[in-house]
Amino acid sequence: MRHLIRHLCLPFASAVIVLSASAAPVNFSREVLPLLSDNCFHCHGPSETGRKADLRLDTQDGAFRVKKGKAVIVAGKPADSELVKRLYTADPDELMPPAESHRTLTATQKETLQRWVAEGAVWGKHWAFESLQPQPVPALKNVAGALNPIDAFVRTRLAQESLTPAAETSRTQLVRRVYFDLTGLPPTPEEIDLFLTDTSPHAYEALIDRVLLLPAYGEHMAQEWMDLARYADTYGFQADVERDLSPWRDWVIRTFNENLPYDQFLTWQLAGDLLPTPTQEQQLATAFNRLHRQTNEGGSIEEEWRTEYVADRVHTMGTAFLGLTLECCRCHDHKYDPISQRDYYSLFAFFNSIDESGLYSHFTQATPTPTLFLYGEGAEAKHQLAKQQLKAAEARLQEVSQAARGRFSDWVKTNAAQALGTPKPVAAFPLDAIVSNRVESAVGSAKASLSENPELVAGKVGQALKFSGDNSATVEGAGNFKRTDPFSFDLWVQPTTKQERAVVFHFSRAWTDSGSRGYELVLDHGRPTFALIHFWPGNALAVRAQNALPTNEWTRLTVTYDGSSRAGGVALYRNGTPLAIETVRDNLFKDIQHRGEWGDGEAGGIRLTLAARFRDNGFKDGVIDNFQVFDTCLTAQEVARLHSAAALGEPDFATYQARADEPYRAALTALKQARDAENELVNPVREIMAMKELPQPRVTHVLKRGAYDAPGDVVTAGTPERILPFPADAPPNRLGLARWMTDPKNPLTARVAVNRIWKQHFGRGLVATVEDFGSQGRAPTHPELLDWLAGRFLDSGWDRKALHKLILLSATYRQSSVTSPELAARDPDNSLLARGPKHRLGAEVIRDHALAASGLLVQKVGGPSVKPYQPAGVWEEAGTGKSYTQDKGEKLYRRSLYTFWRRTAPPPSMLTFDATSREVCTAKRETTSTPLQALVLLNDPQFLEAARMLAEQTIRAHGDNLGARVDAAFRRLTGRLPQPREREILTRLLTEQLDYFKAQPDAAAKYLAIGERARDATLPAEQVAATTVMTSAVMNHDEFVMKR
Amino acid sequence: MNPCSGPLPAFGLSRRDFLNRFGLGLGSIALGHLLNPAAAHAARTGPDLGILGGKLHFTPKAKRVIYLFMSGGPSQLETFDYKPLLNQRHGEQLPDSVRRGQRLTGMSGNQASLPMAGSAFKFGQHGKSGAWISELLPHTAKVADELCVVRSMFTEAINHDPAITFLQTGSQISGRPSIGAWVHYGLGSANENLPAFVVLITRGKVDQPLYSRLWGSGFLPAEHQGVQFRAGKEPVLYLNNPDGISAGSRRQMLDRLRELHEFERDQLADTDLDTRIAQYEMAYRMQSSVPDVTDLSKETESTYELYGPDAKKPGTFAANCLLARRMAERGVKFIQLYHQGWDQHGGLPNGIRQQCKETDQPAAALITDLKQRGMLDDTLVVWGGEFGRTNYSQGKLTATDYGRDHHPRCFSVWLAGGGVKPGMVYGATDDFGYNIAENGVHVHDLHATMLHQLGVDHERLTYRFQGRYFRLTDVHGKVVKAVLA
Repeated sequence: MRHLIRHLCLPFASAVIVLSASAAPVNFSREVLPLLSDNCFHCHGPSETGRKADLRLDTQDGAFRVKKGKAVIVAGKPADSELVKRLYTADPDELMPPAESHRTLTATQKETLQRWVAEGAVWGKHWAFESLQPQPVPALKNVAGALNPIDAFVRTRLAQESLTPAAETSRTQLVRRVYFDLTGLPPTPEEIDLFLTDTSPHAYEALIDRVLLLPAYGEHMAQEWMDLARYADTYGFQADVERDLSPWRDWVIRTFNENLPYDQFLTWQLAGDLLPTPTQEQQLATAFNRLHRQTNEGGSIEEEWRTEYVADRVHTMGTAFLGLTLECCRCHDHKYDPISQRDYYSLFAFFNSIDESGLYSHFTQATPTPTLFLYGEGAEAKHQLAKQQLKAAEARLQEVSQAARGRFSDWVKTNAAQALGTPKPVAAFPLDAIVSNRVESAVGSAKASLSENPELVAGKVGQALKFSGDNSATVEGAGNFKRTDPFSFDLWVQPTTKQERAVVFHFSRAWTDSGSRGYELVLDHGRPTFALIHFWPGNALAVRAQNALPTNEWTRLTVTYDGSSRAGGVALYRNGTPLAIETVRDNLFKDIQHRGEWGDGEAGGIRLTLAARFRDNGFKDGVIDNFQVFDTCLTAQEVARLHSAAALGEPDFATYQARADEPYRAALTALKQARDAENELVNPVREIMAMKELPQPRVTHVLKRGAYDAPGDVVTAGTPERILPFPADAPPNRLGLARWMTDPKNPLTARVAVNRIWKQHFGRGLVATVEDFGSQGRAPTHPELLDWLAGRFLDSGWDRKALHKLILLSATYRQSSVTSPELAARDPDNSLLARGPKHRLGAEVIRDHALAASGLLVQKVGGPSVKPYQPAGVWEEAGTGKSYTQDKGEKLYRRSLYTFWRRTAPPPSMLTFDATSREVCTAKRETTSTPLQALVLLNDPQFLEAARMLAEQTIRAHGDNLGARVDAAFRRLTGRLPQPREREILTRLLTEQLDYFKAQPDAAAKYLAIGERARDATLPAEQVAATTVMTSAVMNHDEFVMKR
Repeated sequence: MNPCSGPLPAFGLSRRDFLNRFGLGLGSIALGHLLNPAAAHAARTGPDLGILGGKLHFTPKAKRVIYLFMSGGPSQLETFDYKPLLNQRHGEQLPDSVRRGQRLTGMSGNQASLPMAGSAFKFGQHGKSGAWISELLPHTAKVADELCVVRSMFTEAINHDPAITFLQTGSQISGRPSIGAWVHYGLGSANENLPAFVVLITRGKVDQPLYSRLWGSGFLPAEHQGVQFRAGKEPVLYLNNPDGISAGSRRQMLDRLRELHEFERDQLADTDLDTRIAQYEMAYRMQSSVPDVTDLSKETESTYELYGPDAKKPGTFAANCLLARRMAERGVKFIQLYHQGWDQHGGLPNGIRQQCKETDQPAAALITDLKQRGMLDDTLVVWGGEFGRTNYSQGKLTATDYGRDHHPRCFSVWLAGGGVKPGMVYGATDDFGYNIAENGVHVHDLHATMLHQLGVDHERLTYRFQGRYFRLTDVHGKVVKAVLA
């Protein structure tokens, strides 16, 4: 029991809201199933484990079982039904639910079950798993004028409750609602006037159409989506390093503004890379599945964390698209919904096959693979050209090689051929003597310093170095190769123990802590494995010998590499003979060095090192002798000659052309130049994390107890059968998953999406648990309306703008939110919709509201995140070990969806207003009301500066007319003119504050110095200061933060 | 049963449902939970007693908790868990029979050798209980008879982030409410002008980072999150009036604002406006109550001497311990301190000497100070980190130096006051200080015990989220009865 996850499976009760007693027959899915689910399924539900009496009540067969003459349910006969008898029995041994379950049913609930049995015990499914059925729009009696179908559903219900709808709200409130709900920004006075003065009968519809076209619409919708997508600017977890995924956010904004249909929105994000010839945008959309947190904490177990990432994708998909709590079935079958643990891992399999690491790099700045290139202006064309030139240079080399055949037959007969020697190494360590803790190269000036005393022992030739697994030799002056450099290594090794993994030599900073950047020779279960790596595993090449080296025996190992960045360019030799090898990875596309311009730590400080590496497995008790480095790719013949002078003889063709054929050598130089040119062009290209399938899917197991190291049965990708069978013709990958989700027969996808849009406008979903449509979620308040809207949404081609418009056009939405105390008490959540929506604005909207009303808002769409005002020391004093450097100029005034989001210390003023930390997918924010919120609005420089800017505007526009200043500011901040009493209060405040600042000129100067935007020095300080207190007061007024 | 044996009147109502049934609306209660508004809201009478409404499951022994969190993982082998065998076998390889194939971190797990390292520090027995305490903790040793040292704590996490998240939220993967948030949610507040859950972090310690989610409210409403108090001019973010605004000017503005809100309330007949009014009045009161509690200038010289030379430096652990006592006096329910810097992978002797120097005297002083004020009886003080450290050296073992890697299988914490048995040592590790030999105490058990002392059954303080009732202890946890007085 030592794993990251252990899931909670507590009994609990769900709320079944029955707002009025009804004579209608009991509805199985809404009234009975929730009771069974809450009270019975824990022991008699879908989960195989812990099932009592081998009885299940989640299936019809189980519920109608007859065993030993006792029937669980006899339709129409509650007195004969064990289920009912057990509810009422006085015998504590017979009572259900049993006392120790801590579950009890109320008298009404027992009555409901009894009545249901009496009425015939009609069985069904949980409502949300029933497919959508066409819903007739109810006909209303006694209603004048044409109504939106939404109203027909709502009013039918109101009539049942003997309630009447509220009157329409004022046009000033209406225009404000529409702007806030669709754009997250207030309307300007001009925009308000445009609507108020439009006398056309279609004025309201025209307003909605107008607002839906504003770019701010996409921004606001994107901000809502970012909570679900768990978008942030840092990886989260321990070190919480920064990363920039804003191109994905920009895509989301565009998508909303262009009104991409929801099924496409979903499909691109889940599977854009798998669409036929995907566009850049479709691939970019898949960053959605990489927005989860990642760690690079030292010592972490890679597979443990990779498993977490895949699990996060499953949970996010479940909550955001399906309204399912899939996380419940990570460790066991779902206790309440028809989803098994096997189903969970079948879903897991869809997201388990990308070439990723469970850890991002600490020492290098590599984008965790797989990635997508984001070329800058003109860079792609240049890169394509360089790649073409590289190809051409390779083709040219082949041609020259053909032509060299003829020259070879002449040359081989010459003295030159006889005289051709083997290339000389650039460094050669005989490892025969240690001098001052160093060993020296026999050629050139390279030296190697020893750490922790490797031992000098008898070697293959003379002496050799024996390593402990922790000690090492670090070479100075050789081995610093780029991926375009040809090179070779030659050495004798003698492993003495069988190690799962042993580092023989490497040029890198670390293993997983640096994404293995560099090159390395490792014995993988004794099999020599050579790799060149930008970021392991997705940006690397690696080859592995098919057989292990013998232990306690000397082996000469030679590695050659031709600078091609291809696995095929690496050869491994044992005792001069090529080894049979297999390709492990063949996808190296950026350089293997540390580079300052990438922001890599220790650029220039990396060294070729023998026998050990930071936090890796060293060459324990391994012996190394005669270590040589070549800056050329040795030919097979040369390798053979290195090993045995007896292999001497006439040079073969490969050796000839590599060493003596001038045209070939010139073509090789040209090819090298082309490779270098391509390398230099590709290295600066920005990458973004995206989804890309491995050529072979990774095998997925059920993980027992959800633990990464407890694999059970193998599963293949698939979807929960009992929700909807997987389409027979769909591919078994994420694209197939998207097809399954967007299948019109999928009972969840459209309902969940429609419900969330409804919630944006009413502050509450028709299903209050927007995140849980399972049997433990809340039942819909208006089930027929939900289904009608979902059907309409499908019919419209998943058109979200049309859905917003439909909802906003309804009389239900247009109702006044003012209500009587009686109704407020009877229906505090407004679940019956007998009045209009009212709720506090979100954290981002409140800040944007102040910026917009003051004219400070910079309406630039998209781009990287910005760092606006934040109290000094927040990151530092929260112990994050990071420092916040506030931006300047226009970046202080961007919309809040662009505010930099550090997961371990999110912007405090946003958190105070209930923003989430964006660590995991969140479908719903709670709304609280705390004094800390008052302190933000009263004292945050962001709001004070906005108040000052607005004050200056009102003074410029209205001079000494204090009442006019009040009117203008009030209208700007609440959308309406003040009533006389309000004007009087605020004018009094203004006068009082004028007296204060006149008496305290220093105070005015200090107060007006808050914020980076310079003050208008042409205006009298005390006037601006006093007016700022007034505008600030209005920013603290209830109406500033409320939508009513 | 009702999932929370609190005031839920009907089956299966969430807290919000309940509140709404009674016409309070969420807003007013939210206020109550951050700062008990006492008479601020007409609908509320009496103090804020949290979701349990004062109907505790057990007779509470503790009214509040001070949790001294030693972040980074202090070595038990240099503090409370005396293992002479390690000195005898210093430098020998950790026997496989002791390790039993248990996983190690990737930091030392790949070392070719795992040499056992005896502590460089002397241990002595202290107090009537004869508890072994190292020479690094002379002040703690003097209060040994007030402490219950648990030497058999264990956890499941092996890296800092999951381990500290586990200790603070009961789950390794973040997203759950912190223990302070649970206490706040369950028990409410005992001071109308201060937050019920306060966080104090020693300033200027650079080491393993902390994260605001450690004192976050997870899926509980945000008002239950801890409020961080910072050393310096503005103890709580956004607390101070802007430059140029005097208290009088601010009061004037708030008076006018109140008039506006009263007018609006009368216009709309909406009681939410009462909440809004209370929100601003409490903010105003907080502007004086917070500086009052953080002003240490009225403390006596003898108190300063008790807490040690750092006590006059704002933001030190000593100053924070003293501040914690002041908050405890004023009824703050859960006072969470963090002191970073215990992560000695290398250079352990010097590193831990410094850590102990910073924390030993203040922690002991807090016990003494609470006791002399008669508050130790109803204040539960907890000292400890997120895991222990290995009995073998990470990196090179030299004559004078060594390091220790993370070790989840055993570590030491102490508890004091709040109905915990004083002068007691509970649990034991094997002679190698590697595995638990008896009476293991899991993280969930510690949590269950802490809640128990507050009068709360850890199985019955729950919150419904995503269709399930969650609790601090997941589906685990046993109250460690043996340590209770």
